[in-house]
Amino acid sequence: MSTISLIERLIIPTYNNEAYAHTGRVTIDPVKCNGCGMCATICPGKAIRIIGHGKAKLAQMEPDFPQCMSCNDCAAMCERGAISVSLTYDFGYHFKILDRSTMKPPRSFKEKS
Amino acid sequence: MGKATVIDSSPITLATKMEEGMDMETQDRALQSEDWNLVEKTIFERRSVRWYKSDQVPEYLVRRMLEAGRYAPSAGNSQPWKFIVIRDKAILGEMERDVQRTCKLFRFFLDFRRPGLMGKIGWFYSQIFIRILPHELHPIPLGAIFLIAEGKLKLFHGAPTVIMILKDKRGVSNPDLDCGICGQNMVLAAHSLGLSTCWIGFVSALMKSYVRFKWLRRLHISYPYELVEGIAVGYARGNPNKMVERETHEIAWYENGQRTITY
Repeated sequence: MSTISLIERLIIPTYNNEAYAHTGRVTIDPVKCNGCGMCATICPGKAIRIIGHGKAKLAQMEPDFPQCMSCNDCAAMCERGAISVSLTYDFGYHFKILDRSTMKPPRSFKEKS
Repeated sequence: MGKATVIDSSPITLATKMEEGMDMETQDRALQSEDWNLVEKTIFERRSVRWYKSDQVPEYLVRRMLEAGRYAPSAGNSQPWKFIVIRDKAILGEMERDVQRTCKLFRFFLDFRRPGLMGKIGWFYSQIFIRILPHELHPIPLGAIFLIAEGKLKLFHGAPTVIMILKDKRGVSNPDLDCGICGQNMVLAAHSLGLSTCWIGFVSALMKSYVRFKWLRRLHISYPYELVEGIAVGYARGNPNKMVERETHEIAWYENGQRTITY
């Protein structure tokens, strides 16, 4: 465990205000989604829920502060490719996420010829 | 997020743009499986799995995983690790129950989402505790504490086998890091053997709670060993092991007397 200084400790806010933080966000394609519920089962933050009954079942993000950590597990689990992460989580002040760019699939680098 | 975060005073932004252009080319060809060798594919396809079948993992596969962990590099060849394999449903269930109780205790003090006076008291306590335990009470694990306390999230996700990694506190330089390297060896070996794994950091909640001495006795942990991590092992339900998108991280590249920022 890394240690942090006393001043750093003093400026940590409590993240009870949504202005300090935004969670991850996934977009769910309502045409491809058949509401099987596998994404809702494996989501570690339980940020996805299933609405509707019968054939109208659909996955949806929890409307009230979903604890999505943009881990992409739902996207990997979905057999129909209906889910993609559109926003990665970020917090303000002390826990701000630094020096990252957009989401990309694994890249391959070849020897220059 | 995005390109706007590239604030770099060096004059080498042209090279960065060139690399970005190259990135677009490679991105078009991405997900063609012949671009990676078997080890790379294993690394890219490994996901943390949180939904397991109840079938027990054969013993020889667990032994093969542990063998991969034994050959991990460590500082000064100190090998500051020790393993505990738990395949007993009763013990795993009891651990889950104890962790849930601990999380309920934490939630009682820290839940600032409650309305009224209790919420205000929770806000006050969380102001203090986030300064004492800034890593453990980061908003993401805090959310997980609440979910475990509510019973929505299981500790081991129904995995039939759990490998605990203990660290030797007297290890050379940074024993935590060596345990991490060792665990990653095991996790990748497990994925290449067709198993699925998930790192369970919440087992350390057992050591930060009133059940600490019970579990120290139960698992025969004594000085100089300390429980750091658990790895849940099992067969995944569904097919979660696929390549997905990840954020690219900034890389500062020093070459030919220039500093280039790439992603």
